[in-house]
Amino acid sequence: MARSLWATRAASYLRINVPCRGFATVLKDLKYADSHEWVRVEGESATVGITDHAQDHLGEVVYVELPEEGSKVEQGASFGAVESVKATSDVNSPVSGKVVEVNKKLSDSPGLVNSSPYEDGWIIKVELEDDSDLPCLMDPERYTKFCEKEDASR
Amino acid sequence: MRGPRSIEIWKMGAVNYLEALKLQEKLTSDRKTHKIKDTLLSLQHPPTFTLGKRRTVHNVLVSEAELKAMGAELHYTERGGDATFHGPRQVILYPIISLRDIGTGARKYVENLESTMIELASLYGVKARAGETGETGVWVGQRKIGAIGVRISSGITSHGLAFNIDPDLNYFKHIVPCGIPDKEVTSLQKEVGLGQKLPSEQVIHEQLVSCFTKIFGYTDVTWRDKTSVSSDGNE
Repeated sequence: MARSLWATRAASYLRINVPCRGFATVLKDLKYADSHEWVRVEGESATVGITDHAQDHLGEVVYVELPEEGSKVEQGASFGAVESVKATSDVNSPVSGKVVEVNKKLSDSPGLVNSSPYEDGWIIKVELEDDSDLPCLMDPERYTKFCEKEDASR
Repeated sequence: MRGPRSIEIWKMGAVNYLEALKLQEKLTSDRKTHKIKDTLLSLQHPPTFTLGKRRTVHNVLVSEAELKAMGAELHYTERGGDATFHGPRQVILYPIISLRDIGTGARKYVENLESTMIELASLYGVKARAGETGETGVWVGQRKIGAIGVRISSGITSHGLAFNIDPDLNYFKHIVPCGIPDKEVTSLQKEVGLGQKLPSEQVIHEQLVSCFTKIFGYTDVTWRDKTSVSSDGNE
């Protein structure tokens, strides 16, 4: 257990995706919402997806409902949904702005959300309204503790 | 260390599908804003066909006009899952609960809904099992006895499960149930034997609810008779 914990933290630090179970991957350079979405901010653009913790708890994703390119998203509001095990789960935006690109690969390969939640499984790219939303989001350490606390309340 | 879990059970009788949908929307919103605690609706519907978010209309084998002619409605919903039928003698449970409060994700939630129906079936000596990957639901052999279709919005659940006590199974011939062709639909009555008398529907509803509260670990359970409730939640 201690060795896998070290390996996961090292992987997190080095931004490597590790297919580990029992401890979900959390990447160092991302920000996180308490509804388990991540955002990678690069200047005025942001890429959004769902976390490894989220995809693990969802099960195999069979469908992703994507928003229209050009539509607006608002922090904390739903912009789409994923379906797994006969359950549709809303996906909320961690930031506000305009959708400039959606990951069309998810229409044919929704499972990318499970196999590569932080890379190939990205969901939307957003042109940020401003960066005032970002302080509300969690950093990787806080998000990791948040997940641990949530899982412990089972 | 978690404290006692509370839930309020609404016993509702027969409810029109759209009325139940509007009520769930209101309760989901109230649960999100902490105006209410976890709530479970126990009811049945008049003959109703429904589709999920993916709108798999190809799995409805007759036209909407033909469905109307047989006295049924068709509704498009935001839940997961494929085409299904609801009707008299089928128990419906719609849990409006906060998954975040119990640290549970969609997969575990659905597994627990499956376990709820499996447990109920076992009370009658019927050995049911959860579906394999891609066949979520509850099966007796290759025959489907219980269906699941759920919506999760900001961690709050709506829609839920449907368990066949003794509905008119002919209705299922007009759809590809759950999008899985060549699989039969069954009922508790069929599985215990048509000659065997089951207790009243009310008893079976209550038993299913008890299986649910046990599996989900609710210790503080309040029952409310809501047979005269309208879609805005008022009596």
